[in-house]
Amino acid sequence: MIHHVMGVDGTYPLLLTLWLLPLLGGVLCWAFGPQLKTAAGWLASGALLASFVLTIVAWPTATQNLNGAVGAHQALVSWMPGFDFGLLFDPLSLIWTCIITGVGFLIHLYSIGYMHGDRAFARFFAFLNFFVFAMLTLVLSDNFAGLLIGWGLVGLASYFLIGFWFEKPSAVAAARKAFVINVVGDIAIMMAIFIMIAKVGSVGYGDVFSHVAAFGPTLFAVCVCLFIGAAAKSAQLPLHTWLPDAMEGPTPVSALIHAATMVTAGVYLIARCAPLWNASPDAQLLVGTVGGLTALVGAILGTAQWDIKRILAYSTMSQIGYMIMGVGVGAYEGGVAHFFTHAFFKAQLFLGSGIVIHALANEQDVRRMGGLRKKLPFAFFAMLIGVLAICGLPGLSGSFSKDAVIQGALEHGHPWLYVVGVVTAGITAYYMFRMLFLTFTGAHRGEIDPSHLGMRHPELVGTPHGDSHSEHHHAPAWLMNVPVAILIVPTIAAGWLLFGGGASWWATFFATTFAPETLPAAPISEMATTGIVLLIVALGFLVAYLRYGRMGDAKAAAEKLRMETVHAFPALTNAFYFDAALDALFVRPAAWLGALSAQILDPHIIDGAVREIVHLARSLGNGVRAVQSGLLRAYVLLVVGGAVVFIAYYTLIGVHR
Amino acid sequence: MMLLALVLVPLIVGTLLFALPAAAQTLSRVIGVVASLATVVLVLAARGDDWSVRWLSRPFTAAFHLGLSGLSFWLALLLTVVTLSAIVACNASARRDLIAQLLFLEGTMLGLFLARDLLLFALFWDAMLLPVFFTLLARASHVTTAWRYFLYNFAGGLALLLATAAFGVLFGSTDVIGQAGVHVIGAWAPWILGGFALAFLVKTPVFPLHTWMPLTYADTPPAMVAVVSAVQSKAGLYGFIVIGLAFFPDYMKAYAGIFLVLGAISLIYGALAALAQSDTKRIVAYSSLSHLGLILIAIFSFNTIALQGAGLYLIAHGIFSAALFLVLGFVEEREETRSLTHLGGLGALNPRLAGALCIAALAALGLPGLAGFAGELLIITGIFQSGLLWAALLALIPIVLAAAYMLRLFQGVMNGPQRSDLPIRADLSWREGIALAPLVLALLALGTIPGALLQTVIK
Repeated sequence: MIHHVMGVDGTYPLLLTLWLLPLLGGVLCWAFGPQLKTAAGWLASGALLASFVLTIVAWPTATQNLNGAVGAHQALVSWMPGFDFGLLFDPLSLIWTCIITGVGFLIHLYSIGYMHGDRAFARFFAFLNFFVFAMLTLVLSDNFAGLLIGWGLVGLASYFLIGFWFEKPSAVAAARKAFVINVVGDIAIMMAIFIMIAKVGSVGYGDVFSHVAAFGPTLFAVCVCLFIGAAAKSAQLPLHTWLPDAMEGPTPVSALIHAATMVTAGVYLIARCAPLWNASPDAQLLVGTVGGLTALVGAILGTAQWDIKRILAYSTMSQIGYMIMGVGVGAYEGGVAHFFTHAFFKAQLFLGSGIVIHALANEQDVRRMGGLRKKLPFAFFAMLIGVLAICGLPGLSGSFSKDAVIQGALEHGHPWLYVVGVVTAGITAYYMFRMLFLTFTGAHRGEIDPSHLGMRHPELVGTPHGDSHSEHHHAPAWLMNVPVAILIVPTIAAGWLLFGGGASWWATFFATTFAPETLPAAPISEMATTGIVLLIVALGFLVAYLRYGRMGDAKAAAEKLRMETVHAFPALTNAFYFDAALDALFVRPAAWLGALSAQILDPHIIDGAVREIVHLARSLGNGVRAVQSGLLRAYVLLVVGGAVVFIAYYTLIGVHR
Repeated sequence: MMLLALVLVPLIVGTLLFALPAAAQTLSRVIGVVASLATVVLVLAARGDDWSVRWLSRPFTAAFHLGLSGLSFWLALLLTVVTLSAIVACNASARRDLIAQLLFLEGTMLGLFLARDLLLFALFWDAMLLPVFFTLLARASHVTTAWRYFLYNFAGGLALLLATAAFGVLFGSTDVIGQAGVHVIGAWAPWILGGFALAFLVKTPVFPLHTWMPLTYADTPPAMVAVVSAVQSKAGLYGFIVIGLAFFPDYMKAYAGIFLVLGAISLIYGALAALAQSDTKRIVAYSSLSHLGLILIAIFSFNTIALQGAGLYLIAHGIFSAALFLVLGFVEEREETRSLTHLGGLGALNPRLAGALCIAALAALGLPGLAGFAGELLIITGIFQSGLLWAALLALIPIVLAAAYMLRLFQGVMNGPQRSDLPIRADLSWREGIALAPLVLALLALGTIPGALLQTVIK
């Protein structure tokens, strides 16, 4: 069959190098960790910086357009017909590669400071570099099988890094949970691949996207399977429960993997498969709805968290909900733009929280914070910018992309999702400012007894949640501050790439990726949407300020927080019982069936039946009893017996065959 | 002649080892390593060879016929490499008898995979029981296990022998393996296939004939169980491919439903049972039930992609199950327990041991990029393509369960707080690392470039 390749075929050494450099760095850090010591951090960061520079140098190859083939295509190896592996470097993978290597580099740099003194320093960087390689494999693959390999490997890297402090049982459990839920996504993508092989005979993007009609009614099934994969990786309902637990990993990991890059893989997948979704309005409705609901549920749950990293985790879930809603309804540019800006401001928020956690000797509970503005002015400033950006203050990056998603929902004919997007923006403002007020303003509550804050089990709720590396090692502060300072620039400015609507740089950049479409004018203009969102956001801010912005002295504040903790809605503190439901529906039945087979069926039912047969045989007489009477004799007897039977058969019947 | 040497070298060296004084443990290990290394070289050198001596002309034609090509080459290579690894992995306390029995096991199984004559196949089939049986029998506490292993497999062997005899009488010759155009038809044919199938199902094993397996795998020394689970368990599936599919295609299709259902039950049952075990070796044993059930389904889906996947997965499963059993053996030698309730936290002081177990476990749970994944993907692609939607969907579930039980195994041994009640021992030694190295490299190679094997494994 004719191969439909996206991108201009050729050999691209730059592309290969920028893809493989992180793998090389990871292997070196892993193999020579004991010798490298702290140099491992610099080696790994250097690999990423080089990779980022090469990405910028190779930029023109990703945007080249030769007779409609956009970007660069590098063939690699062939498994068998239908499974040809190669790399595709086009505008969509370019944007992801920029974030993975660029923001990845900054987070690597930050980690040198953050992980300073950790016993497994070099191993940390080996895993981090390996993650980047896996993520690049995911976004650079030119086919679904290669994507699935990257998909699985980022899951592995995530597993290693969530469980990085593997002596902590909670981290070990969180790592396993994340991995297993992600395998659910993997098998869904496998299912999509089976349908592609059956219907198109290939898993190459070009082949599949040029034969969308070949799927017929199974197209919806393909989209659903792909979306289950996306939902598991990108923490969409109901497969999101691993993400809050994943905060057991070191904070830079949360920033890189569980905020900026890996968890947005689902957004990439759907944007990549735009031709499939465009042909299946049902799939668009499904994905848009789940994305919107996730945005809303994540935001609501974010209002009830006390752990600063869990607040940010639910916020991430909610923001990815926005992105999924955007790419789901067909507003691909908006959804991808929100990934782009979110990578900056959420990385900044996480790294800022890391500075706080680091300074407070691993305290993560915001009830025991307060008044840190004076002690940590830089962290306050950085997180304030991040909060303003995520809330969508006009002019900062978040407002452009979030408004693009919300407006996109309306333009594509989903007014309910528009409403959900606007409401969620208000809740977002509430929980983000709640976090900011609790952490940085008011009186410091670090000295107050945890029980006075409503924390009944401080050993479970409080400190030990935190990163368990020693506080006595302090790297120079600039190592952690500089990356955060650099991130402030795009957090403020990146959104301006979207300025100008259809004529913006962003729209021009993606003009060849997502087919431009003409939509009927929306009943509400973009300007009006920005105004409405701003109004709702101001409301959210106001509520947060009234509740947490002026809580009085430490004692009064503590009493208020205690009351709030004690009287919290059970549905919120139990995260709407998603964990309990998954446990009751899948985990416990599997364990129960396993115990049934191993402890009852095997030893009693099956073996019992066999025992009965043996007893019966024994009672039949001497011939069989010989089995017990001496091992060699029995064996010979049985062999000879077998031989006698077939010789007898031959002599009696076998002459004429 | 090289093929004859390939079969005889391990058998003769194994016999000679018994002539050594029982105390000569180091010498016997060295001889074992040299002999098994020689078999690896011989397998590589003799690829494509064919050697035959006329043997019987009455009651039917039979020949001492050996050949080494296609799937049997890859299985022979797997067998010799795994045996080499297993002997290298034997520590100083390994008795002379174990090395000798490992060589016997290798020789008899090489005979099985090289056999191009059904009668020869059947004889080696029974002979390969004995090394495991006698090794188990040598320990008083394992006598029950030994008899259970023997009786189950011998019953299968007897059925195989009868089926072979009937085949010879009916067809006139048993010198048929690897020949095209041999089709057995007639009223007797389903019974002959049934005899073969019974032996194959017991050996693999497949539910409900599997209850000998967890016991055997748990009680057999790690070096030997690595070979048994890696290669001996493949004998039945190999038989279904080279005997069942080749000579009884119509009856295989007619009775496919039975085998598909048994394979599907094994697939799910093994995975669920593996979740509930606390003995490390029994977890791997039940996982094997699950994984080999998948291959059975692949064979009975009669699809080229599934069959190629089955060939790849046969080899992949051999490598990762050998690696798993060897590493778990290393753990057991160090900590003197296999129970997950007693193990834990070894990773902090044994990073290399942890890394080895991690790679083996990841290959077993089908991590993309390692050998298991490529096989699973191709198998289920083929199953789906053949129209067995229910089987394809069912085959996806154990992948999730495998992630759960394999991580439970790995984390249960290596992660968590360090246990103060466990003895502190040295990390993976050079010798142990060398034993695992070829297996780990093969897992990576087959995961990233399986094409080289795929093109030759199933013609």
